[in-house]
Amino acid sequence: MTDVAEPTTSAAEVVKSGNGRPAPRKKPVRPARIGLHLFLIVLGVLWLVPLVVSLYVSFRPFSETQAKGFLSMPDSFNLDNYDSALDQGDFIDKYWNTALILVPSLILTLFLASMIAFVASRYSWRFNVFFLVLFTAGNLLPPQIMVAPLFQAFRRIPLPDFMSNSGNLNGSNWAIILLHVGFQMGFCTFVLSNYMKLLPKELNEAAVVDGASLWTVYSKVVMPLTRPALAALATLEFAWIYNDFFWAVIFEQRGDDRPITSALANLGGQFVTDTNVVAAASIFVIIPVMIVYFALQKHFIAGLTLGSTKG
Amino acid sequence: MTDIVKPSPSPSEVGFVLGRRSVLKGAVALGGAVALGGTLAACGDDDESSEAGSGGEAASGTLRVGSNYSDAKPNEALKAVLDAFPNEDVTIELNEVDHNTYQEQIVAYMQDPPDDVAPWFAAYRLVPLASAGLLMDISDVWTNSLDDILSEGFKQASTYDGKQYLVPWTFYSWGIHYRKSVWDSIGATPPETYEDLLALCAELQGQGVTPFAFGNDGRWPAMGTFDQLNFRLNGYQYHVDLMAGNESWTDDRTKEVFARWAELLPYHQENPNGREWQDAAQALIDGEAAMMTIGNFVGDIFPNEDLDDLDFFPFPVLNDEHGTDTVEAPIDGWVVVAEPENEAAAKEVVAHLGTADAQNTFLSIAPGVQAPAEGVDTSAYNALQAKSADLVQNAANVTQFLDRDTLPAFANEAGQAFADFMSDPFNIDAILEDLQSKAEALL
Repeated sequence: MTDVAEPTTSAAEVVKSGNGRPAPRKKPVRPARIGLHLFLIVLGVLWLVPLVVSLYVSFRPFSETQAKGFLSMPDSFNLDNYDSALDQGDFIDKYWNTALILVPSLILTLFLASMIAFVASRYSWRFNVFFLVLFTAGNLLPPQIMVAPLFQAFRRIPLPDFMSNSGNLNGSNWAIILLHVGFQMGFCTFVLSNYMKLLPKELNEAAVVDGASLWTVYSKVVMPLTRPALAALATLEFAWIYNDFFWAVIFEQRGDDRPITSALANLGGQFVTDTNVVAAASIFVIIPVMIVYFALQKHFIAGLTLGSTKG
Repeated sequence: MTDIVKPSPSPSEVGFVLGRRSVLKGAVALGGAVALGGTLAACGDDDESSEAGSGGEAASGTLRVGSNYSDAKPNEALKAVLDAFPNEDVTIELNEVDHNTYQEQIVAYMQDPPDDVAPWFAAYRLVPLASAGLLMDISDVWTNSLDDILSEGFKQASTYDGKQYLVPWTFYSWGIHYRKSVWDSIGATPPETYEDLLALCAELQGQGVTPFAFGNDGRWPAMGTFDQLNFRLNGYQYHVDLMAGNESWTDDRTKEVFARWAELLPYHQENPNGREWQDAAQALIDGEAAMMTIGNFVGDIFPNEDLDDLDFFPFPVLNDEHGTDTVEAPIDGWVVVAEPENEAAAKEVVAHLGTADAQNTFLSIAPGVQAPAEGVDTSAYNALQAKSADLVQNAANVTQFLDRDTLPAFANEAGQAFADFMSDPFNIDAILEDLQSKAEALL
């Protein structure tokens, strides 16, 4: 995080980054600037402390850190905790469970949200504003308050055996996918429609003049141009859906079907929790998020401010 | 989350009496108390239950068993028990979930249960589930096999409205735990009265040893101390009535408990609310603290070579009228869900889990607890287990634990109130007034 503000960003780089603002004049280095960077470095280090401590603790046995403290010098330094975590946590299966929920949720959310955003931003019709408000307002609703009615509804919706081993929607991946799609679509629609509004209207008109259908305009003209927004959203949504514990434990009653986040909870015992094994397991759990983050870092940061400048 | 009707429990229903010879004060217990919930329970499928008693035809097929035994040793032990289930026509599938999530979600779990047999707690914690008709009446399992091997106290703890819903499986007890070697080196002996305890605490502090290790992260460990002080001072019946909302938190007798607690607090580790109990226990292991009011499970965190050094004694006498007649010993067991897919196998398995055979296997791998069945190999008990089992068998009254003896929602409020008391003991009157209003609203 420390490299967010580059001190010597050249004019050329700013122009290249394409935010359209005029390039700042080069300023001499002032004490305030040094202070700012010291502050940022300290924050950056603080930010890393939990991760580094977990990593450090994960290589040391529980009995030793209990006796000597987490930050003591190590007597033994090994991979035993990772062994136990793999053994008890069943991570491979849990990664697969997460993928089964994550991938369809992500694709469906982005696909459906982009279609709504496309219509709401590119065509003017009567319910444009109403729909945008509806989706935006949906974001403000805390999903937790819907748990009880959703649970009661889901367990009354029968599904064939090949879709759910409980015989109804409750206890199947479909329930969780449906929930993620439902709850994430509001935000995605909001962001995508703001982004699509920035695309010149003339593109649509030109396409229509050339005889393109609505579908063609959506899939061949607008979607390719929306790719940066989709990538950024996909990164954000990946992290959010991946991190979900709440819906997964409510609607998956079978431990074997639960996603990776529950594997961490599984390592907590009734009374005793081996914090070092949990630390090792946490490292396993954050690996996919780290990979996605580093691979798509640029989009992730773009995602944080996405849609913020145009309402 | 739930449409459960809350019965207004009678005091005797909340607690129960354990031990072979004692007469049950609460024997009438569940009869009248639960008329309210009884109507709901009646929609269960009692009519089918007679076909498949544990003594009936042998079961077959697949049986799904839930497990919240997420600790390594109990988990391994339970698997060993189920692997050894004698009827090979039954295939057991284990559904493992973590302990705390399971407990928090029990109502959702039971409404659409993924398993036929599931772990749960005895006594009061059965009431909301059984009264809503979410559990199967397994009285026939008791009649056919368990009555002979379990004492009346355990049966009572498994009973609601005259029917049995639980098979008792393990229990442990609470007391003041200490290291014998540490006490020998400072020449201390277990105190028998409150005055002895205070004198010992002052002496220990003078020697630079923290008398009580204490961590209250999670808000439950303090409940253990409260329970001990309350039933020692005001007796079992008052404790039970307080838990049921029939006595007041603003009563002078309740305030007296907190006055005593405030006297003891300076002898506890400071700032307990942010410390996990297992970190507090480390102070006990290291000899930095002399004792700890906790359950026997503290042994789980002791290094194996130090286990023989761990001992405990009952909380000292605060009131001669009550002596040490009450032991806190939470019982865990197994229930069958209201509409199991494989009822015959479910009943056969819970009947088996109630036997000394199954419980011996479990204890041989997970020695942190004791088992209730007659014929359990007590000679294999370590000193701590033997002492605990003996205390429980000879106790006049047994409580479960604050969060099992009252409604879970109220237990949360009480846990918060105790934590507030820890951080500001002088504000206790306001805290208790607030807690009393919560009790009136919830109980």
